[in-house]
Amino acid sequence: MKPLASDRPFLCLLLIVIAVALLLAGSVFNSAGLSPYLANAIGQLAAFAVLAISLDLIWGYLGILSLGHGLFFGIGGYVVAMYLLKHSYEVTGRVPDFMQFMGWTELPFYWAGFGFFPYALLVAVVVTLLVSGVFGYVSFRSRVGGVYFAIITQALVYVAMLLMYRNDTGFGGNNGMTGFTVAFGWPVGSGGVVIIMAAVSVLVLGLTLLSCRFLMASRFGVMIVAAGDDEVRLRTLGYDTLRLKLAVWCLSAVIAAVAGMLYVPQVGIINPRLLAPELSLEIAVWVAIGGRGNLIGAVIGAVLVNAIKFWLSAAAPELWPFILSGLIVLIVLVFPNGLIDLAKMKLVRPMGVKRIAAETPELH
Amino acid sequence: MLARGYWSDMMRRTLGVAAILIAAWVPAALVAAEAPRADLVGKLCGDTGAMGEGGRTLTALAQDGSPDDRKWAAPLARAMIDRKLTCDAGGAVLITAEGSQDAVTRAPRTAGERDRQPFLSLKNRALFETAAATLQLRTATDLGQRAAALRALERQTSGLPDRLFEIAAEEESDAGLKAQILATAQAAALNSTEPAKRIRAVRHISTTPDRRALAQIRPMTTDPAYAANPEFRSAVDAAISTINRGILTGDVLAALYNGFSFASILFMAAIGLAVIFGLMGVINLAQGEMIMIGAYVTWLVQEGLRHLAPALLDWYLVIAIPIAFVVTAAIGIALEAILLRHLYKRPLMSLLATWAVSLFLINLVRVTFGTQNLNFVTPFYVTGGVPVIGDFIFTWNRMFAIAFAVVTLAITSGLMRLTPLGLNIRAVTQNRTMAACIGIPVRRIDMLAFGLGSGLAGLAGLALAPIYSVNPQMGQNFIIDSFMVVVLGGVGTIIGTVVAALGIGQINVLIEPLWGAVAAKVIVLLMIITFLQWRPEGLFAIKGRRK
Repeated sequence: MKPLASDRPFLCLLLIVIAVALLLAGSVFNSAGLSPYLANAIGQLAAFAVLAISLDLIWGYLGILSLGHGLFFGIGGYVVAMYLLKHSYEVTGRVPDFMQFMGWTELPFYWAGFGFFPYALLVAVVVTLLVSGVFGYVSFRSRVGGVYFAIITQALVYVAMLLMYRNDTGFGGNNGMTGFTVAFGWPVGSGGVVIIMAAVSVLVLGLTLLSCRFLMASRFGVMIVAAGDDEVRLRTLGYDTLRLKLAVWCLSAVIAAVAGMLYVPQVGIINPRLLAPELSLEIAVWVAIGGRGNLIGAVIGAVLVNAIKFWLSAAAPELWPFILSGLIVLIVLVFPNGLIDLAKMKLVRPMGVKRIAAETPELH
Repeated sequence: MLARGYWSDMMRRTLGVAAILIAAWVPAALVAAEAPRADLVGKLCGDTGAMGEGGRTLTALAQDGSPDDRKWAAPLARAMIDRKLTCDAGGAVLITAEGSQDAVTRAPRTAGERDRQPFLSLKNRALFETAAATLQLRTATDLGQRAAALRALERQTSGLPDRLFEIAAEEESDAGLKAQILATAQAAALNSTEPAKRIRAVRHISTTPDRRALAQIRPMTTDPAYAANPEFRSAVDAAISTINRGILTGDVLAALYNGFSFASILFMAAIGLAVIFGLMGVINLAQGEMIMIGAYVTWLVQEGLRHLAPALLDWYLVIAIPIAFVVTAAIGIALEAILLRHLYKRPLMSLLATWAVSLFLINLVRVTFGTQNLNFVTPFYVTGGVPVIGDFIFTWNRMFAIAFAVVTLAITSGLMRLTPLGLNIRAVTQNRTMAACIGIPVRRIDMLAFGLGSGLAGLAGLALAPIYSVNPQMGQNFIIDSFMVVVLGGVGTIIGTVVAALGIGQINVLIEPLWGAVAAKVIVLLMIITFLQWRPEGLFAIKGRRK
């Protein structure tokens, strides 16, 4: 990997991210800046980009496809929703909808302490590490990989969705949680707060990009790439690939949870649909479209696909699934490494398709 | 002749010389049939005691009388209650909807002089209510009226003729009312005053051991007779234990049966997936949509038959079998030829590609047919079932799914074992490179196998059509369960798929009543993950080099 100073595409992307963050920060105080609606859209895109980076770490670099990253995204989202709801409840005294719905007079015991943000943050990280650690350990130990791992992770997120659809779990059931009114003592709905949240999301995206870039350039990063290229060889050389994979997997899960914590306050609602297998598959699609094994690609894929989705879900919602499936087929058949291929101008002539495909055997 | 005695008795009480003249005038042959009727009418016009006797006679007629007698008697009982019967010198006149008639002969006649309407005492009134209801139960042509009569009788079951309900049930044409009549009969016998009759009823109820029987018998333990009569007590105890045993057996059988039917659905959904996965290492995420399309093709066949050949409508499930298979297999072959062919070296990408296909198909069907559930005709061969024991009913629609899965299993394994195509598929599954080296057309085998796998999913959709709700999303509900079957069963083995489907199906059905459907799914998933710890390749992995 090139040293950071000479990696121009990455620096460009980082510059754009910082510029957007600054623009957002400026808009908080200046009404001539970005509208809260636009800022909110940018903030959501940034959250999705962080999510895409998290999957790119494990799939793009290590070659392990997870079709269940929505689970960690959901854990982060649910925890932050619990914080917002409890905090709002404490400040305004307005009883959360799902408690009224279930006829409860007080929150279940495991909601204790969620009004305090650092505690909620800690819970999000611990729960994510616990779930990803246990699942990753048992899977990697028995060397479950490839397609098997993908479909088991998908089953995991599906089961989590079913669990969350139950109304008696104390997490809002099928209606989910909404009605967040106060965050850190500020009213959530006001334009300034919306823009600040978007700015924070973009900032976190920049930080994630930068730290992942440093990680991949480090010795550990080299190990990750090596394990992705040929895990058996690395293991034969005496490296502990189980611990390596587990560490990357857990890191990826925590980043996904952070993305969930950024996303939910901005959309103002969380329900079990966030855990639907479709979303988890879509994350993989963003990364595949942008380009696997490349941080820039993941960000571009997530931003591009979701921007089209935002635009189309207002303009022509019927059309979106067809366009998405067409995009996937196009990417899979013509640009096997995603849009990055386009940037590298590998696609010289139509007949070159086969050559590209042959050059890049999949890691699994 | 006994009637002769009543006849003279009645004469002495109510009739004058004119009656004797009329009786003498009536032809002899008619007298034989008319005499008991006239006798009865005479009682109705008699004093309180005679009226009571008349009421009981009417009730007895409801059981023992000929259909003609019953039809004759039915209006009488009602008329007594409604005071539409007028006694006069010539016997009695009945006022009906068709005008006034002679109560005995039903010839049109108006009431004579010195007429009076018999008035029922409170006690007699109850008797006539019963008589009217019993006769209505036996004679009414309207189902609602019969049901109403039964409801009236349920309130007061003492004093009814012994076999009334039994006979009424035998002649009842409506199955629902028939069951109600029998239930009332049992309840009546259970609460009768004779211990022997009660014991008989208890024993009889315990021959159909279900929850309703238990609810009937259980109150008997608090009955005074339970403490007083040891024979009754032992009969009740024996009945309760028989019923409990029956219910338990029924529940176990029902759970197993449900498990089998769920397993056969799982098997149908997973077998195509397993064949494709075993052969190419590709998980076809569009497999659920093949199921959905199979169900939609079945629906189209049904609608086609409705318009073209309504006589064959009931057989649409059978007629659709080849069509559903061919359509989904063709889609599968096209999918393989256009898309997956280029992705063999990249199984994870093929996962995304098949998901794109699934997204496309769901939305195509949604745009074309709408999102609502499709309506299916339920043919006679998947309707109803046979009650076996306890609350276990051997339902035909589940049996259809099971039988369909068994036939599919037989044909698929026959295809794999006995045909050249099957041989080639097994060869490519075991070692693709070597198979290609010895001249097996690997690519064509891939295509045909993909078609086979998709066609099998289409058949699963057909089997699901009469049981599940059919809508564009339906495939999504099966895909994850079928993954689990494939993962657990091992790659590319039919026997593995069968065992895994049976295991997951039964476990799901056994856990569901205890902790709910979601818990069942969670536990099954955890079990599979745990299981993969010691057999990562599934139950029946093909021996070979680990990839």
